[in-house]
Amino acid sequence: MTTLETTAAGKTTKGFPKISFWRTVVALIFAAGLYAMYARFALGFQASTNLTDSQPWGLWVGLGTLCGVGLSAGGFAIAASVYLLGFERYRPILRTSVLISFLGYCTVCIGMMYELGIPWRIWHPIVMWNRHSVLFEVSWCVILYTTVLMLEFSPALVEKIPWVRARDLYLRWHHSILIALVLAGTLLSSMHQSFLGGLYLITKGHLDPLWYSPYLTTMFYLSAIPAGLSVTIMAIYLCVRSLNARVDLTILSDVSRVIAPLLAIYGVFRAVDLISRDATQYLWMWREETLLFWLEIALLVIAPLVLLNLEKVRNTPLYLYWTSAVIVMGFMTNRLNVSITGLQASSGIYYEPKWTEFAATLATIAAAVVAFRYAVIYLDILPKNPSQRVLALSAPAKA
Amino acid sequence: MATSRAILVDVTKCIGCRSCEQACKQIHGFPMASEMKLSPTALTVVEERGDRFVRRMCMHCQDPACASACLVGALKKTAGGPVTYDAAKCIGCRYCLVACPFSVPRYEWTKLVPYVKKCDLCAARQAQGQPPACVEACPVQASISGTREEMLEGAQRRILNDSKYVKHIYGSEEAGGTSVFFISDVAFEKLGFAAAPKQPLPLLTASALGDGPTVILVGGSVLAGLYWITQRRAQVALAEAREKSAKKRS
Repeated sequence: MTTLETTAAGKTTKGFPKISFWRTVVALIFAAGLYAMYARFALGFQASTNLTDSQPWGLWVGLGTLCGVGLSAGGFAIAASVYLLGFERYRPILRTSVLISFLGYCTVCIGMMYELGIPWRIWHPIVMWNRHSVLFEVSWCVILYTTVLMLEFSPALVEKIPWVRARDLYLRWHHSILIALVLAGTLLSSMHQSFLGGLYLITKGHLDPLWYSPYLTTMFYLSAIPAGLSVTIMAIYLCVRSLNARVDLTILSDVSRVIAPLLAIYGVFRAVDLISRDATQYLWMWREETLLFWLEIALLVIAPLVLLNLEKVRNTPLYLYWTSAVIVMGFMTNRLNVSITGLQASSGIYYEPKWTEFAATLATIAAAVVAFRYAVIYLDILPKNPSQRVLALSAPAKA
Repeated sequence: MATSRAILVDVTKCIGCRSCEQACKQIHGFPMASEMKLSPTALTVVEERGDRFVRRMCMHCQDPACASACLVGALKKTAGGPVTYDAAKCIGCRYCLVACPFSVPRYEWTKLVPYVKKCDLCAARQAQGQPPACVEACPVQASISGTREEMLEGAQRRILNDSKYVKHIYGSEEAGGTSVFFISDVAFEKLGFAAAPKQPLPLLTASALGDGPTVILVGGSVLAGLYWITQRRAQVALAEAREKSAKKRS
């Protein structure tokens, strides 16, 4: 009966899985993703992407890596808050946020296999060093932080091992290194987020002045934390709504009270930067870059700040969910603007991703979402309510 | 770097015969058909700009953005002048294509095991004391080669002695200086030359990378300090609670 109880939303696991709307969507995404995988690895870049010498980095870098890493920033923020700063308030959502970060980094690593021209040489940066390269630092941050996340998350898996001795030994060892892990993770993640912005410092003269700034590193860092926290809010809300998790939703309100000032700081930083670089002239030009810039600012800064200023939004989980969705959309617009929109004019060609580029990235994200769902169902990520179905079944039996 | 070699291209002399293109293709074993743009099988091309012909090729920067960008160090500036590419190291990240201020490197998008392709200033030939194939093939000496100092001095002399020239040597300060120079009688921006930043581009990322150790040291100490405070607070709270309960009992 335990499997029955732990299954999502009281659905029984017996028999053929029911065909639901979301299952159909995920199945379609996986089917498209499988073709994209075939196209990329059996046919090559030209068959699977619209990348060219003028646009050598496209959707896989912009969406897969920049957004993937950025939206995984919740894990280190919550872990540092709980373990280093002692905000016990957030402990109930700690495992969820670490799980999201871990899965996020997994999608980034899988995405790397698509991006690299020669993916089986992915280990080269470990032995071939160029310390003048931002990408070299980025690659080391990915390797080390993914390891840290795996270790941080590991107890959730290990505690399910039936061998008591081995389990306790591991958990005790884990406990002894935990603070060191969290500390290393916070530093590595912070550096990783910043260095992703640092990658574009070398595009001076190519990247549009609306985005090129010597402070790209700081901007990437400042925007990643509120965006990562927003993903955590969305995930927790969905777990409560459809996976029967039992969480005090006022925690989400408290997270949103942290997000608002972070976004405000980010907004002010962007404004001061634009003014100090004398780039305000580009704010009112009638061109695609400027429109997308304003879309980014509206979604990432203005709309969320207005919404989070309303008491009703802060205290209603559903509204918080949608506000977080707006922040995530704004964040993604920003990363795609830096990596694609802002480089379009200087490249002289118009890049539109091929459908297989979307399919590959979406399938990887979908796989992470499915993995997240089953982790929440089968592992102790969040406390769960006894399922409605089981209650309904057991009630008449008692009567 | 006294022996660093360089190329000087005089746009006013080029007759557009494409001998340099052909020589380059021949020495690399590429298909001989002429191409309009740089490609993995055309490491130099002669582009028509109005009534002028402009050669495009790798500029062989003194402090190359591509070499600083390459995470595995496949791209290197050699003492002899050429920026060389070690295909055995390349993982295909294409950051060099993103970083190049002159948009020169090409990628073999059509291949299943793709590599980066760009001019290497005939490093192997130069090591044997021969000029680059393109220079050797030029029938009118629009392209000449020699040491970097010789080329710069020669260019300087020409633009000073003849008033038709634009008073700038393209490559003398672009991206912090290159090993391929152009002189022309038509403004460079009209000929499609990139307005590259004047400083070496690796400087732009060096400052960010330099922050790394500081972030680790300062950030690490601050975080450790905060953790210590958190622990201390918890200990104090615990001790106080114990004291209180002890008092109550007594």
